[in-house]
Amino acid sequence: MKISNIFKPFKTVGKFLVEKPLTFHFPPESPVFTERFRGRHIYHPELCIECKLCGIVCPNNAIDFLFEKDEKGLVHFRTQVDYAKCCFCGLCEDVCPTKALEMTNFPFLVAMDKKELYYSWKKLSEKPSLTLPSIKERKGLIPWARARSFWIVNYFTGCCFIEAVPWVASSFDMERFGLLATASPRHSDVLLIGGYVTPKTLKRIIRIYSQMPKPKFVLVLGNCPMTGGTYWDSYNTIKELDKYIPVDLWIAGCPPRVENVGYAIFLAIWAVQHGYTGKEEYVNTEHGKYALPYVVPKINKDYNIVEFGPQHPASGNFNILLKLKGERVVEATPNVGYLHRGFEKLMEYRTWCQNIMIVQRVCVLDGASYELAYVGAVEKIAGLEVPERAKYLRVIQAELSRIQSHLLNLGLLAASAGFDTITRITWGDRDKILYPLEYMTRGRVYQIYNIPGGVRYDIPLDFVDKAFEVIKYMEKRLKIYDDLLFNNQVFIDRTKNIGKLPKEMAIELDVTGPNMRASGIDFDVRRNVPYEAYKDVDFKVQVLQDGDVYSRALCRRREIEESLHIIKQAIGKLPKGPIAERKMSRGGYFSFMSSIPTGEAIHCVESARGELCFHIVSTGGVKPYRVKIRGPTFDTILVALPKLLKGVQVADVPVIYWSLDNCPADHDR
Amino acid sequence: MEIEDLLKYLVEHFNAKISIEKDRNFVLARVDKYSYVNVAEFLFKEGFRRLLTVSAIDWLSRNVIEIYFITYNHVMNVYVKVSTEIPRDFPEIPSLSSMWENAAMHEREVWELFGVSFIGNKMLKPLFLENWKGPPPFRKGFDWREYVVKEYGLKYPPVPKTVYQ
Repeated sequence: MKISNIFKPFKTVGKFLVEKPLTFHFPPESPVFTERFRGRHIYHPELCIECKLCGIVCPNNAIDFLFEKDEKGLVHFRTQVDYAKCCFCGLCEDVCPTKALEMTNFPFLVAMDKKELYYSWKKLSEKPSLTLPSIKERKGLIPWARARSFWIVNYFTGCCFIEAVPWVASSFDMERFGLLATASPRHSDVLLIGGYVTPKTLKRIIRIYSQMPKPKFVLVLGNCPMTGGTYWDSYNTIKELDKYIPVDLWIAGCPPRVENVGYAIFLAIWAVQHGYTGKEEYVNTEHGKYALPYVVPKINKDYNIVEFGPQHPASGNFNILLKLKGERVVEATPNVGYLHRGFEKLMEYRTWCQNIMIVQRVCVLDGASYELAYVGAVEKIAGLEVPERAKYLRVIQAELSRIQSHLLNLGLLAASAGFDTITRITWGDRDKILYPLEYMTRGRVYQIYNIPGGVRYDIPLDFVDKAFEVIKYMEKRLKIYDDLLFNNQVFIDRTKNIGKLPKEMAIELDVTGPNMRASGIDFDVRRNVPYEAYKDVDFKVQVLQDGDVYSRALCRRREIEESLHIIKQAIGKLPKGPIAERKMSRGGYFSFMSSIPTGEAIHCVESARGELCFHIVSTGGVKPYRVKIRGPTFDTILVALPKLLKGVQVADVPVIYWSLDNCPADHDR
Repeated sequence: MEIEDLLKYLVEHFNAKISIEKDRNFVLARVDKYSYVNVAEFLFKEGFRRLLTVSAIDWLSRNVIEIYFITYNHVMNVYVKVSTEIPRDFPEIPSLSSMWENAAMHEREVWELFGVSFIGNKMLKPLFLENWKGPPPFRKGFDWREYVVKEYGLKYPPVPKTVYQ
């Protein structure tokens, strides 16, 4: 152990004191807001030819038509949008032949009553504008103190939580406003529900809500708890959350953009400062149906049972039952299903094209890989030849998505090992990566960029400069991660020789991705079974030998560097030409409502978490007959994790868990 | 063993119907339900150490359920999908958990979502759902859109509506 290794992190952190801070000053400026973001629509009634195509193509039935007579006595079908259902996929904009329905970059959609989110055609044709409420004035000392010290329950219920993450990180920094994420519901004021709620999760939400002291406020992110949203026909998600618990503020979006979450926080602070004390608690039968019975645990002298998750700062919406003898784990049993939406059958109800907007929602942390795997399988069945340019664009998107996913995981791992500073830094840098990703694909979290046969948009002219700027920035930052984390003796002692995954076990239990490569297995789908443009770019598969927590973290850090290298090459080699091919080799053209020939295909890609495969069966219809998603975390978490946890100290459980990079939404589907 | 030899062996010994995608090294093999486990044993011995998934397809019109598994060989760099068909009314098949350790968990999922029981799998208990009383949810006969209207009181219709003043 070198003494200098202990002081080096202090030196690096000391430099931050004189550098420009990462934090965006929201409000008044919010610089990550790109022009290309898909936000609220604007409707031009004079251009509309009333073909109703937007309503037909909408996967969530968010678009309605108003039949009315104008002043001259002419009848019209006017387009109206319900933002409590809209998923901002942009399919309506794509099919509109006259560009009467366009998407602006306006993301601010917050309401206390969800009916306010139904936009009539007159409201829709107005130019969007926003005035933030002033939070300086106040009524009394107690409301002011209450509004400036919101404590938020730490419960990551669904995928919309990804946009609350920047508020925890250095990029938006919610602690400026006195907001604090806390683990105990008994000390919290705000329950932030992020996205869809399954019956299994709802029982836990009701329990947490009942434990919170009054006055309590419920803020709901996303459209799924409002009306069902994207999962409106899923058998295992709750459609209207306000039937079960009172909701104070609805934040629309899919997921709501980070600035929209900030706007909601401002509205909440403003309302509470003016004396708002939340809604009355319900006492009704619907509530009782999902109430969780209180069970008194049996006392055993030999061992204790401890539940890790689902409401835990370091678990995600995932639960693992730990049987402890003293400080040691004797047995670990994963309990999953908190995020089960039945994705595979949900896709059977949607057309081939509508599925492109739902498929990346399987795993919010790395949506791009899911798009790639799905369109790859569809292209094989339909016989679509992807143009060279589209292949390179897909590589750029996939690698940017991989970097942001690894950064998120490094942050989570560092936080579970007690290195909160790194968490703030990596999550802040993740926002920097999201900027070129959004500028290229028009989506921040869910890009919805790939379609069978190519990609939806070409890159803007100044994309290359902006991407290189971020790549350079990231290369510098990686050295800071080394100083603070990977060369830090405390972190090394904390993670070396912990959670060892032997090579043989990794193969037999089908652990893939960085977890497998950290155990000494030289396998990467990008190189072994190359897809898209990966055979034309030069990269090194990162293999480490130890198979412990440290190796897995280091493997991800090296993969970030490798991904930056791939992006640079892909941008340099980007060929000219079309970005999408619609002609199918077996006859016909692929379009929004077209059918594809009978057949089946398997397509595997290397996602950030490992090997991801889609097996799709078509019977010649407009919808798939069966879709099977083989997620990368299913075996890792459900089969390998319990084996790794056997015999470890209870304090190492979160570290081992996050070193495997779990995405609960992926294994639950 | 080369891929060609493997395919030849599968056809000769197990009467398998084979289709192959050459560029991506995917082999699709169809066998009857009696040789399903034997094929799995053979592949396991031949170095197919990774089991990617075990899953099912419900063919309502033919009244059968197709059970399949996908496995991968590091040396040959080939993915093999082996599928078989079992009757829909009496869905039972031997488990693969004696060969691949992770098969038990995949079969548990299929048991829950498709109602297929795997003989020899000791892990068959609910995985995702808590107190589920309905039919196996991924079967084709179970219409989700009907179910959500009944269970969650979904008000809006599944087609775009026109509002008349």
